[in-house]
Amino acid sequence: MIHATALSKNFRVYHKAPGFWGSVRSFWQRQYSDKPAVKAFDLEIGKGERVGLLGPNGAGKTTLMKMFTGIIVPSSGQLSVLGHQPHARSRDFRLRIALVMGQKSQLWWDIPAMDSFVLLQRYYEIEESTFRRRLNALVSLLDVAPLLQVHVRKLSLGERMKMELIACLLHQPELLFLDEPTIGLDLVAQRKIREFILEWQREYGTTVLLTSHYMADVDALCERIVLVLNGQKRFDGGIRSFESLLGRQKYVSVSFEQPVDTQSAVWQPHDPQWQADGLQVELRIDEAVLRETAMAIFRDFPVQSFSMEKLPIERVMHQLLQETEVL
Amino acid sequence: MPLLRRYALIYREYVNNCVAEALSYRLHFVLLIVMDLLFYLSLLGGVDFLFQHLDQIGPWNRQAFLFFMAFMIAVEHLHMTFVSENFWAFSHDIRTGKLDFILLKPAAALFIVFFRAMRPATLLLGLFPWGLLGWYGSQLGLLWWQWLLLPPLVLLGLALLTSVEILISMSMFWLVESMGINFLRMQLQQLSRWPDFIYGYFAQKFFGLAVPVLLVGSAPVRFVLNPHDTSGLLWLLGLMGLSWLLTAFFWRRGLRAYESASS
Repeated sequence: MIHATALSKNFRVYHKAPGFWGSVRSFWQRQYSDKPAVKAFDLEIGKGERVGLLGPNGAGKTTLMKMFTGIIVPSSGQLSVLGHQPHARSRDFRLRIALVMGQKSQLWWDIPAMDSFVLLQRYYEIEESTFRRRLNALVSLLDVAPLLQVHVRKLSLGERMKMELIACLLHQPELLFLDEPTIGLDLVAQRKIREFILEWQREYGTTVLLTSHYMADVDALCERIVLVLNGQKRFDGGIRSFESLLGRQKYVSVSFEQPVDTQSAVWQPHDPQWQADGLQVELRIDEAVLRETAMAIFRDFPVQSFSMEKLPIERVMHQLLQETEVL
Repeated sequence: MPLLRRYALIYREYVNNCVAEALSYRLHFVLLIVMDLLFYLSLLGGVDFLFQHLDQIGPWNRQAFLFFMAFMIAVEHLHMTFVSENFWAFSHDIRTGKLDFILLKPAAALFIVFFRAMRPATLLLGLFPWGLLGWYGSQLGLLWWQWLLLPPLVLLGLALLTSVEILISMSMFWLVESMGINFLRMQLQQLSRWPDFIYGYFAQKFFGLAVPVLLVGSAPVRFVLNPHDTSGLLWLLGLMGLSWLLTAFFWRRGLRAYESASS
């Protein structure tokens, strides 16, 4: 589906000294530099995979997405998507992909979404009965039938995102790019969108490439993670291997009946994160010492509650960004 | 599906959507009609005022001059109805990254960029410019074949004006902030609204050959009034073809330079 070899993209940026004279000087004498957004990136994605592109802001995730969809042209490297060079933008290529951007809309703002869908039917030459069947299925899955005749500008963010998804899926793309599809949505809307995407992917075997800042999206939708830092690939593997990057650890949360000694030697090896003046702590405990550490906590401190779960992907990500040498 | 039919169906949806969009702001819709009408009347009023003090401007008398103005109003009317909005939208598309979605659609992106927006309010005034053209044409005593030539020649003038503007708009890929380019387009339209002979020698050459906006009205009208004068039309056709070739070249270069907007 996607084969990228040594893919790079540089953006040209100019630098301006602060203040009025800086502005005047930069008008006459502009200082440019090349900012590498993606560096020598290799990637292989097979049919039907669900892959999450992870990384902090400015890591190069969206730039990769835009190169994969043919919106921008790579500075160097080889790229083939569905057997096409994306930036050649062949019609066959464009008929087989779709891109959802959480922060941008492809729908016409001042008319109901239904009118935009009919226009998309014309672009993609979808036969009338097929169009109606697909539209009905999508509308029913996302439960938006009463909203089809409402002007897009009057929809809530969550409702609009559902319409964006319909717009992208009407032509049943083989390859779906999701760039932060749940950004800004409340928790309920996020969950609904995730469930919908998962259901759709399972039914049609669509290949999905997702970027998101919400780890819950990645956890729910992706079976493979590609971590991007400073434009470079730093990890590529299954979501479970990603979680075990920091070792086989458990995430333990303990709360106490009264404030405890936060400097005790029991806590120090387990990256303690204290809250509420010593009344609650979150720990990362290696499975090998989990039993004895738990016993020591129960023995030495007035434990009110004790909960344990596998290390959440959000915390793995957070930790990796601080300890990139682990990668 | 045949290509023309496919694009006709896409265009029909553009019209439907633009009508739906325009009618959702009722007062704005009416205001646009009134403003367009005032614009046409101010153009004619200016020329009428001049001929209250003069018998002739260059080789043309009042009737010929007003026929030219009516011809240009017909071109302007089609331009404002079907093309004009898109140039402003293109600038916005590049700045905001909305062009991304256009590039993903399985249709010619140039077509989507420059023809997806139209102004239904202006379309409603269609009878006015064509009525004017008919009125001033009859005052000149046009023959049947001259009447027949008028619609295709108006379309030809529109095609040249639009081609030149699209070519100029390619610079938006590099300029990004394109208010200046859109104002330049408007100034060129302003120049094209007058016959070429009112300008000096160098202005005539520059705006007749390098940026050929003076051919938009002058060449077709001269041909209608004097069918032996074909040189202007031949230049018009040649320069329009050249502008298409240059547009194709700069469009490809522009897309390579396009960096989209960050998310």
